[in-house]
Amino acid sequence: MKTIWIIAGKESAQILKSQRGLLGLLSFSGMLSAFSLLLVSDTELSLLDNAQVVYMLEGTVLAAGALIAAVLGSDAYAGEKERGTLVPLLCAPIAPETLLAGKAMGLLAAWAIMFVVAAPYLWAVGANGQNLGAALFYMALFGTPVVLGFGCLAMALSARTGSVLASLLSTLTLLMLSASPLFIGPGLRGTAIGRALDIINPFAGALNTFDSVIIDSQPFYAQLARALIVSVWMTGCLIAARHSAAHPRYQ
Amino acid sequence: MDRWNRWLPAMAGMLLLTSVSSAAQNPVTVDLRPARDNPPSPAMGDNLRFSSTITNTGAVSIEGIVAWISLVEIDAGNEQPMDLEDWSAQKAVTGAVLSPGESLKTDWPMRLIKRGDYRVVVSMTDRGGRRVNTSPIVQFHVREKPVLQAGRVVWVAAVIPFLISGWMVFNKTRQRRQRTRFEGPVPHQTV
Repeated sequence: MKTIWIIAGKESAQILKSQRGLLGLLSFSGMLSAFSLLLVSDTELSLLDNAQVVYMLEGTVLAAGALIAAVLGSDAYAGEKERGTLVPLLCAPIAPETLLAGKAMGLLAAWAIMFVVAAPYLWAVGANGQNLGAALFYMALFGTPVVLGFGCLAMALSARTGSVLASLLSTLTLLMLSASPLFIGPGLRGTAIGRALDIINPFAGALNTFDSVIIDSQPFYAQLARALIVSVWMTGCLIAARHSAAHPRYQ
Repeated sequence: MDRWNRWLPAMAGMLLLTSVSSAAQNPVTVDLRPARDNPPSPAMGDNLRFSSTITNTGAVSIEGIVAWISLVEIDAGNEQPMDLEDWSAQKAVTGAVLSPGESLKTDWPMRLIKRGDYRVVVSMTDRGGRRVNTSPIVQFHVREKPVLQAGRVVWVAAVIPFLISGWMVFNKTRQRRQRTRFEGPVPHQTV
């Protein structure tokens, strides 16, 4: 257990102590600042309902979290291999599951840091409105499995392909497909294929939960089906990552 | 006068027949009223509630009832039906059977999202009927209210990146000092 925390601490330090990680964090907060200032400066947007603004901001935070998880996950094994640090790591008396758990904890730490950075923005735009507390709670409850799932999927591809570029491209493609509800209109989402995609898509499940809770003030039991979808997604990705980490392909 | 006395019962009979026929064709009344505790001058972000009553005034039961609420904006140049997705969690109700004399009462909550003048109406149809029955229209005005507090948003948008930048500078300085301490001072070369 101690080994897991050591690995997690090292992974977390990449975000908080390396200039590259801090630059990524600064970019993330800059994006949220630009979005918030745009809402205030534009007359029409400033009249949007608080709940609608909080929903839009949470969707953005979730997408950014999944993106960061995909990048960190792709670097987890393939990045170590390309830097030449994978062999010493594998020679250390660390079980593959322990290494995977430590890197997953590092992903969770990165998501937690992003959550802490995003919380003041959500408070700033949503404090006058409704369901701000519920919005933060459900972003943690539904956002964490979605982000962790994408991170584990990226780690699985990273261990399997041995290439950061290959695993990152594959994960980003899947992420864009999952995030398509943000791009396509309600008309296309209402078609048979659109509805089927919505049902199995964990990203759409989380977004629909935010909509249901923040805007429609629906209770928890109305979110159970989507909670099942995101849980199945996270579990499936964890299993895939565990299997790949136990049998990595390295040249 | 005699001619008038001859025609009067016939005319009365025709009127009665017409009204009975109308009732038979439209045995449903739909009523819509705003709730008494609605704010008198609602603004964006307020919640309104409307109550509808669908009554079967005919002699036959009505089956397969569907009632839905519609909201239209009537601002000049901006006339359009509104998507109730963000305004209300309840957009329609159904009823299996409405017996003669029975009523179906429904509350329609609504959260006001956008400023303007609006009309709301409840429509109803049933499985066997071939018409849509509508309630009287209720019209209301939503006042404008800026919902984002610019001061708070600007403050957060500026402070958070500033704090992260400050941490970056502090981190860089600390790493440089640690490196200097480890490597030692650079020796001076004398010629």
